[in-house]
Amino acid sequence: MIRIAAVGDVHVDSDVLGRFRPALEQLPDRADVLLVAGDLTRHGTVEEARCFAREFGGLAVPVVVVLGNHDHQSDQQSRITDVLTDSGITVLEAEATVLELHGRRLGIAGVKGFGGGFAGACASNFGEREMKDFVGTTEVIARRLQDALLSVRVDALVALTHYAPVPDTLVGEPLEIYPFLGCYQLGRAIDAAPTALALHGHAHHGSERGRTPGGVPVRNVAHPVIKQAYNVYQLLSEEVDLELIAT
Amino acid sequence: MGTQLDEYLEAEIQSLLADGRIAELGITVLRRENLLVLGGEVETPQRRDEICRQITERFPDVEIACDIGIIRAQAPSEVEEIS
Repeated sequence: MIRIAAVGDVHVDSDVLGRFRPALEQLPDRADVLLVAGDLTRHGTVEEARCFAREFGGLAVPVVVVLGNHDHQSDQQSRITDVLTDSGITVLEAEATVLELHGRRLGIAGVKGFGGGFAGACASNFGEREMKDFVGTTEVIARRLQDALLSVRVDALVALTHYAPVPDTLVGEPLEIYPFLGCYQLGRAIDAAPTALALHGHAHHGSERGRTPGGVPVRNVAHPVIKQAYNVYQLLSEEVDLELIAT
Repeated sequence: MGTQLDEYLEAEIQSLLADGRIAELGITVLRRENLLVLGGEVETPQRRDEICRQITERFPDVEIACDIGIIRAQAPSEVEEIS
């Protein structure tokens, strides 16, 4: 059994310091790893990244993250990655990491992702250079996610993105902005690998649960959606045991 | 003449929320007869107060009702089994 804690869109700045920490300190009793689905910061500054590292770093469980669109706002994503990495946080962008937990191998493949929309209402790689660049970016990122997912041999495989891979978990958002919230190409990448669970954020007004066309469970863990410090998901269950250890 | 509560005002406010120091893309703006109702959730009370302050500063004659909530950050009490 592996337990995964997950949250996204925590938008940390100095005013958030201390808000998550009490719940995060309880993590070792509740989960084996913490995944954060992007939008770690507000404006994507190095100072905010340091705040995130202070709030979410130094935990007794591994922390694995992807960046989100907010983390790109100040064009400091490389420095943000360095700050987080120096704090012991694993930042995934088109790569995978493998954790040995209770004798089982958990693989996590992550990308930020991008928009574009979903079947029947999506942007096409056609026309103006700007539009082809937009959809081309989506396609490249999705292909990199697929390569990352297929690069590891593990007992359980998790896809971690900021943008949504399915429209199911966007229900609650205005239909008109779905193409800015995710794309079907991410879902197709997830379905091309033996993925056990896909986690994303970004859609603050979306809903929690969905599935890819191939049947992979998808969870929107954006903080405004889950309304708690993190959710906990259990994979590779050996027995029915849904009670958390009381604290 | 006072500020019209029309869709251009709504778009300007959404732009203010995205472009400025606020950087909140998840705030809803509902136009009522003589009132703008702000909805959604943010991470801290300071952010909610800053949103209202900046809108009031930019549009001083627009009446604002702030229904923006603060997202809870407690530990969960349940685990979901994925199958």
